[in-house]
Amino acid sequence: MKKVLIVILLTVFVLSAFSATRVLNLINGTLGDKSFFDSAERGMVMVQENLGLETKTIEMGYNPSEWKPTLEDMSDSGMYDLIVVGTWQMVDTLAEIAPYYPEITYIIYDTDMPFDKGNLDNVYAMTYKQNEGSFLAGALAAMVSTDPDFEYSNPDSKLIGMLGGMDIGVINDFLVGYIEGAQYVDPEIRVTTSYVGAWNDPAKGKEFTLAMYRQGADVVFAVAGETGNGVLEAAKEMDRWSIGVDSDMQLIYEEKDMEIVNHMLTSMLKNVDQSVYRAVELYLNDELPLGTTEALGLKEGAVGLANNQYFDKFLEENPDIAERLDELEQMILEGEISVSSAFGMTNEELNVIRDAAK
Amino acid sequence: MNEMFQGILSWDFIASGIRVTTPILLAALGALIAESAGTPNIALEGIMLISAFIGVIVSGFTGSLWLAIIFGVIVGTLMAAILAYFALKLKTDIILAAIALNIFASGGTIFFLAMLTGDKGSSASVNSLLIPNVTIPIIDKIPILGDILSGHHSITYVAIVLIFVVQYMMYKTPLGLRIRAVGENPDAAESVGISVVKTRFIALMLSGFLASLGGLFLSMGYVSWFARDMTAGRGWIALAAQALGGLNAFGVAAGSFLFGFTEAVSYSLQIFDIPYEFTQSLPFIITIIVLGIYAWRKVKASGKLNVSNSSVGPTEK
Repeated sequence: MKKVLIVILLTVFVLSAFSATRVLNLINGTLGDKSFFDSAERGMVMVQENLGLETKTIEMGYNPSEWKPTLEDMSDSGMYDLIVVGTWQMVDTLAEIAPYYPEITYIIYDTDMPFDKGNLDNVYAMTYKQNEGSFLAGALAAMVSTDPDFEYSNPDSKLIGMLGGMDIGVINDFLVGYIEGAQYVDPEIRVTTSYVGAWNDPAKGKEFTLAMYRQGADVVFAVAGETGNGVLEAAKEMDRWSIGVDSDMQLIYEEKDMEIVNHMLTSMLKNVDQSVYRAVELYLNDELPLGTTEALGLKEGAVGLANNQYFDKFLEENPDIAERLDELEQMILEGEISVSSAFGMTNEELNVIRDAAK
Repeated sequence: MNEMFQGILSWDFIASGIRVTTPILLAALGALIAESAGTPNIALEGIMLISAFIGVIVSGFTGSLWLAIIFGVIVGTLMAAILAYFALKLKTDIILAAIALNIFASGGTIFFLAMLTGDKGSSASVNSLLIPNVTIPIIDKIPILGDILSGHHSITYVAIVLIFVVQYMMYKTPLGLRIRAVGENPDAAESVGISVVKTRFIALMLSGFLASLGGLFLSMGYVSWFARDMTAGRGWIALAAQALGGLNAFGVAAGSFLFGFTEAVSYSLQIFDIPYEFTQSLPFIITIIVLGIYAWRKVKASGKLNVSNSSVGPTEK
């Protein structure tokens, strides 16, 4: 009797261990970035709650030498069927390790993978069309900047700005969309750009932004991680506008300082959570297109402006702006407007766009 | 081009340079005192970070600005005391102990931030207070002069006063003399009855005190929250500013202002068609040039070509 019980228990244990898909979220940094890592974590919570899968998140920290051994150990442990990693910094590590563990499926977000090598049939990569979302942010910025009805706008100078963390592909993809969106609405709008060269220096971000406001810019788009929070503070100090990025920054600051919230138009979201959830769902249905990169945009809900109560109120009060934004979004969705991307652009091409907008 | 000069030559630009300089200046004055005592304090970065953190947390949870300032300063000074204890009493290598403190500051602040606010990135959800700016009556009404002299952050004024205080202390008081004596020649100082350990302990704690003010400025004036690793190398730049100015508080202040203002120039320049790699390296290029000119003049003045590098470096032992 005892033996039978043990056998049954063991069977149940083994079955349960093999049946439920277990998902691991490996973060090559720490949570609290108010950006894609936090967003990916929200995605894991959704996966756990809505799909009933077992999930675990490991923060590997910012030291790159820790990443490869952790990914290797976790893959080797055999405890996970699905491993989620992110950012371009993990590309080489993943490309090296994934071929050794064909039974595990890897999902990587916010970057492309070298699929032409042919040995990455268990990897699925997602990039985000931040250029599409930024197009809307740029259009909004341009409309607000030239409208004399807004207290914080400076309609005399047709200038808006963007603060980038570093001069790299992803950031410039934001920039290209932002410039195109602004100039689509008003061809005379100029866009000034500054790169801080750091992701964790809000004081420097503030200083750069103040310089842009002094130059006459009245809306600055903060695309610089933690550094970008300096933009919000600068906007408050100078009575100008700011636009947040990645997470809904108005909701982050609403408890602390309504002045910061009131000087923000909205945030351009990069919904890593939605996309991770979508990928896991596709995986469960055996529909995940492995061995490919998918670029997710407005259509997939992966990017877009944050529709919180503050932005909704703003749109309600300014129906013409709301209408125009809807119209532009429809045109992007239907393919009438195709927004350029900085990916695949040479430096010279990018410089032409960047300098022409200044 | 015209636009460029308008950007640089505005009074806002001067205010910007002063803001950038303030934390560097305070930490550099701290570095000066520690260096004079022969115990270089490279934990300034970590001390600033911890004080920045403590200031935000204490003001956020108690609602008292004074408590925040007092605790920020005490904890920063304590950090330096810990460094002094390890280096002077336990005889560990002061550089290694300081590196450990810097790493502790970076990790520790994130740990406690996450524990207290549930957020590992920044204290954006904490309703912390600001140390106010000061408007000087009458002077602020005078055009130009008012823009330059008035309206800065309280700690900025404190920092300016501290330049003179530190210079006076180092060269006109018995404590300063003792600090310099143990830095120049600890054995000689010991032989005339100066306690080397005690003097160095005091010097390190003073350096911690100054750096902690720089930290408070960052999180309670410059911006209104604490963010992970927000000192972002200012403690290290302060060490460079100190090396630039030698053991003279005015020289160190000049070095700090040089760093601060070239950095402010680099912010304004980026708006124009100047490659950003260049504007970002500008503060360092200018530093090298200034150091070069300074060394060259020293060599010329002394009339010797093979002068040792002591003319620009820290203490000679």
